[in-house]
Amino acid sequence: MQVVTKEHLLVWLDELAGRFTLIAPKRVEEKLLYKPVRHSSEIALDFGRTDLSAKEFFLPSTEAILTIKREKGKISVEEPPLEGERVLFGLHPCDAQALRVLDALFVQEEPVDPYYAERRRKTTLVGLACREMGEQCFCTSLGLAPNEAKDVDLMLTEVAEGYAVQVITDKGKTLVGAMALQEIEGIPPEPIVHQKKVPILEVGEWPERFEHPFWARLSDRCLSCRLCTYVCPTCRCFDVRDAELSDKEIERLRAWDSCMAEGYRRIAGGHNPRPSKMERLRNRFYCKFCYYPQDFGPIACVGCGRCIVQCPVNVDATEVLERLAAL
Amino acid sequence: MGREEGFQLIEQIRGKARELLEGKQISCFIGYEQGTRGRARPAFIYDPQEVERLIWDGRCTHNLTVYLHQFKAPVKRGEPPPRVGILVKPCDARSLNILLHEKQIDRARVYVIGLTCEGLAADGQLLERCQRCSERVPVVYDLLLGEKPTMIGQEDYADVTEIERMSPAQRLAFWAREFDRCIRCYACRQACPACYCFECVAEQLDPPWMSIAIDLPQKQFFHVMRAYHLAGRCAGCNACEEACPMGIPLSLLNRKIAREVEALFGYRAGQDAITPPPLATFKKEEDVPL
Repeated sequence: MQVVTKEHLLVWLDELAGRFTLIAPKRVEEKLLYKPVRHSSEIALDFGRTDLSAKEFFLPSTEAILTIKREKGKISVEEPPLEGERVLFGLHPCDAQALRVLDALFVQEEPVDPYYAERRRKTTLVGLACREMGEQCFCTSLGLAPNEAKDVDLMLTEVAEGYAVQVITDKGKTLVGAMALQEIEGIPPEPIVHQKKVPILEVGEWPERFEHPFWARLSDRCLSCRLCTYVCPTCRCFDVRDAELSDKEIERLRAWDSCMAEGYRRIAGGHNPRPSKMERLRNRFYCKFCYYPQDFGPIACVGCGRCIVQCPVNVDATEVLERLAAL
Repeated sequence: MGREEGFQLIEQIRGKARELLEGKQISCFIGYEQGTRGRARPAFIYDPQEVERLIWDGRCTHNLTVYLHQFKAPVKRGEPPPRVGILVKPCDARSLNILLHEKQIDRARVYVIGLTCEGLAADGQLLERCQRCSERVPVVYDLLLGEKPTMIGQEDYADVTEIERMSPAQRLAFWAREFDRCIRCYACRQACPACYCFECVAEQLDPPWMSIAIDLPQKQFFHVMRAYHLAGRCAGCNACEEACPMGIPLSLLNRKIAREVEALFGYRAGQDAITPPPLATFKKEEDVPL
């Protein structure tokens, strides 16, 4: 296997930071977030799960997609430029798979989302295998492994000598050129994997569970906040609205939206097909495990466990999936 | 609370909940149950056979009064709203009084089991919010359970004072740094019993007071607005801060305002359900230093 020492990895990262926008896990107060970094010393190399996923670098929580200006009677329309070439370092296999899930809708389906597609094209992904699965992780139940070397351009796995390096794509090959690699005998170690598997129902098994009273009892404690959808690496709903900045300028914004919000599904005239939190919470699970795979292919859950960790009232996706399978 | 007393207490809670449900005096009892991964969580008991699910220990932090809002409407048109039973700690009881005073719930439609409290301790460590809390006995209940408190608590505002000592520039920088992490998920608002507006200013479409942008100006505006809307209405239960996924110290804002309200008007939110909250009252001759 090809290995880079930790020292040389940091040199390589510093070199990347000089050439590209380097995004990497960074400690911010007590949270761990993907952030643009200038120097490798800012990077948290020893990490489990970031508190937020990396989706915001492809589907930003807020972006201006159009500005309309009026000057001296002339009206101009401008699209703000997107970010340049970027390297996203330290992506765990679940978060890398999450980008594949988003690709299925934003890139592989017409119409292509030009903003998402452009950012995806201009970003090289450097994966980092998990040492072990976190207590709330269930990626192995979704056909993934915590050291899965796919969905990224370059994969790193921690070994005694430093990091084992696997080139996955041409993009990765280009990037690894500047890295001081050495050949060592052996293969990267397997991470520690939970034995517990969460049952995932087939798409066709979902409709019959739609009217089950289970959903009403589950949603009793749901607070109907947007937390689970915003920390989720595959929740991708957004809203688009025009805002008047002055009497001469209008900005068209797109920002994250959430199916858990009361007003999300409200339509003209005031009717709301998902009026209570029961319909909304149920929809979140149906979207991920039934509608999305039906419409776009992949299951819209990668088992990262963020919603489980963060839900203030312990709505635990693995428990929900187990209960549903037993119905 | 020793193991033996704790066991007795939970049996008393279960017994009362069973009695109320069996006698059809309530249709649901809101308490706590064992969750997954060692967590405790809110529980809704409809069937007297299921009262064994109820638990009570130092992990039961949630302010359950936030759930009373979902029982305000009748299940069937023309019927009165359902009557429910609820477990309250002293901090939650003040929230309940706020809701009673604001006519959000009818006192007759809630059966309240109040618990005395000397602070919640998870893993033997008293929660931070409990270390600075002086409440020991709920201010409203139908049945009081738990041992007579022995410790007198003292409200502690040391952390608020620390922020007050900062220069305005430092304070602005402090809050900008904290609010920068906000993702506008509204978990704070949704976990708050006093945040029950039918339509929040932050989401109002017509007029669109606030942009949909998840940027610092909107985050700051939202949190400052929420803090002001809670002036004299926040019971200090800390549910907002505990729900926040980004660890923003929201209670600093709320407690700063609560202290000001108490100093100015001698009023503690939810102390009873009769005294009009000073910020929701108008007197012709006000004598308030501005």
